[in-house]
Amino acid sequence: MTQASSQFELSAGQPPEDGSQPNDDRGDAPRPSGLAFLAARCWSLLAGFWRLRADKSSWRIRLVAAGFAALYLVIGLRLVYLGAKPEPPQALKSAVSDTVSEARPDVLDRNGEILATDVKVTSAFAEPRRIIDIDDAVDLLTGVLPDLDAQALHERLSSRKGFVWIKRNISPKEQDEIFRLGLPGVGFLPENRRVYPNGPIASHVLGFTDVDNKGIAGIEKYIDGQGLAALNDFGVHLTPEDLQPVALSLDLKVTHAVRDELAQGIEKFKAKSGAAAIMDVNTGEVIALASLPDFDPNSPVDAREPDRINRLTVGVYEMGSTFKALSLAMALDSGKVTLNSRVDARDSLRYGRFTIHDFHAQHRMLTVPEVFTYSSNIGAARMALMVGVDGHKAFLSKMGQLDRMRTELPESAAPLVPKRWSELNTMTIAFGQGLNVAPLQAMMAVAALVNGGMMIRPTFLKRSAEDAMKDATSVVKPETSESLRYLMRLNAEVGSAKAVDIKGYFVGGKTGTADKIVHGHYAQDRVFTTFMAIMPADKPQYLFLTLMDEPQALPETHGYRTAAWNSGEVTGKIIRRVGPLLGLPPQPDPTEPFPLLAKLGYTAANTPATGSTEH
Amino acid sequence: MLRYLNVLAIAGLIGSAVYAYSIKYETMLFAEQIVKARQDIASEHDKIEMLRAEWAYLTRPERIQALADQHLDLQQLSLDQIVKVTDLPDRAPKVDGIGRELESLGLAVPTNTPHADRSAVNGAATPASAQ
Repeated sequence: MTQASSQFELSAGQPPEDGSQPNDDRGDAPRPSGLAFLAARCWSLLAGFWRLRADKSSWRIRLVAAGFAALYLVIGLRLVYLGAKPEPPQALKSAVSDTVSEARPDVLDRNGEILATDVKVTSAFAEPRRIIDIDDAVDLLTGVLPDLDAQALHERLSSRKGFVWIKRNISPKEQDEIFRLGLPGVGFLPENRRVYPNGPIASHVLGFTDVDNKGIAGIEKYIDGQGLAALNDFGVHLTPEDLQPVALSLDLKVTHAVRDELAQGIEKFKAKSGAAAIMDVNTGEVIALASLPDFDPNSPVDAREPDRINRLTVGVYEMGSTFKALSLAMALDSGKVTLNSRVDARDSLRYGRFTIHDFHAQHRMLTVPEVFTYSSNIGAARMALMVGVDGHKAFLSKMGQLDRMRTELPESAAPLVPKRWSELNTMTIAFGQGLNVAPLQAMMAVAALVNGGMMIRPTFLKRSAEDAMKDATSVVKPETSESLRYLMRLNAEVGSAKAVDIKGYFVGGKTGTADKIVHGHYAQDRVFTTFMAIMPADKPQYLFLTLMDEPQALPETHGYRTAAWNSGEVTGKIIRRVGPLLGLPPQPDPTEPFPLLAKLGYTAANTPATGSTEH
Repeated sequence: MLRYLNVLAIAGLIGSAVYAYSIKYETMLFAEQIVKARQDIASEHDKIEMLRAEWAYLTRPERIQALADQHLDLQQLSLDQIVKVTDLPDRAPKVDGIGRELESLGLAVPTNTPHADRSAVNGAATPASAQ
């Protein structure tokens, strides 16, 4: 090519009188190598070209040469630019990327079992501008996909959009049939669809996604909030391999066992609803959570119904006597009482026109442990009054009971705190009426009371004890914590929590039965029962909570509907069943479970108590 | 001379063009193979994901429990059934069953020895605890 064009230039551009120069070159021509010969030849041409400068019309030629040089420069630069630039996205591709379901990270339980994962499905789409006969297309498509709404499909296909979905998540057979219709402008795209293999187990924690695979509840929404949604919006399309799976704190098998036992309990006691949870008191991890009735996240159509809420984080309830654990811890921690102190419970406590009664009235002076085991409202109220309204408020605030608890779950509820907090409020809140908190919030406080006094925020993500301790704060003294452990253990030995006195696990517990408010009054026949248990009481690892809404009295419960008979029994069954699953072997009772109390001179704590059967 | 060089240059040109095109088509072939292999890998990944989801679905505790209740005659684990290895009793002394069988045949017994000696021989052959 080069040679040919230069030949042309030579013959066209060179005047005849300058013919001597090429002749000179030809004389030089016989050179040892062809390459050198070529170079010399080119040089002679160029030299001839430059020699044209002397010509009068040289400016024209130079202008033409400059014009061509500029043109070729532009073409060359354009080529380099096109070569360096990445392939521009096609118009369809960019339209699709906004609508197609993005990949999401897998959600695993603490042992690596799958709780939520993506599967690839095929969806049929159309490009309305390329469809020739819309009526015909609608007829054919509704013939293959009978569940499609012909009217809506017609509207979609008549739109001026470049891309519309015909149907998401079609079966291979449907895909084949649509393909055989041979319609122009109709195609298929692989999409990600979220599946929850375990159905309703842990559904309240997992939440669910919408049809575009965007998390709209639970941990799924939390994952989106952690930057996944933002990445997708910026057009960064992550493949499943890029995404690190999210490990939850839940244990799938334990969660199933808890849910199963709770369902049986609700059925047995004909309760309206119920919930149960297990928390690791040293890390704040929620090991199991069940709230019934629940929903299937694979088809979350009924998830928005009001009775399907997560009762542990979204519901706020009067926790009843389980709150006495906080009141006693407050009184003990303030130093106003010790385990040897006695509290006057001879008579009902009058305040204005209100009277506080005891359910198991003893009509005598009660020691502090007796206040706990007899679940004395009067005793708890008197102890709260010793600390005072301000101290009570400050303590509950320190325990996180007065403001909204935040976890990874987006669904949460603020506690219902009385606007005007009088002495009467302090008295009733001391035994768990008059302050509505989320049950998980109460668990957080009780966990802090028994784990040595460290307040740890509950989490639904896997976490080590060291990480949990990083932002934990000390809220009560270790001695107070041990006193609480002792009181709960004592309550399981001689008190109302005998249902969880399981040989080998050294369990401690506390019941709570709150009368429900119906039409502004406390109704005696409708109760909300709670039960908290710690295991093992000498060195707690797990905190169990079971709550039931309106459990009924049964013949075998001797007509009682209090917590010990229903929530307590369910908790006992849960502990028996999940103890081995949690890797805790039954062990003989420890010989000195409460060494700090022994050092303080309260030696009775380390001898197993036996007492009256009916409390 | 010039003609010879021209022929050589044209041959070189054609040769290099052939070489360049062969390289180009080879590259395209390899590129296609890479794309195909990537697609295969992606579809295998998808299949693995699908199978994992299916496995998780089939082994979900709810289903296993229902199947176990239906087909197996199992009882719920009771806590007193859990025993630590250290709590197990020591292993019983080993019993030499074949040795005792042989002895009971009386083959090793010398024919002319008195009765008392025979029992002593027996005692040596099998551990006392095994009898």
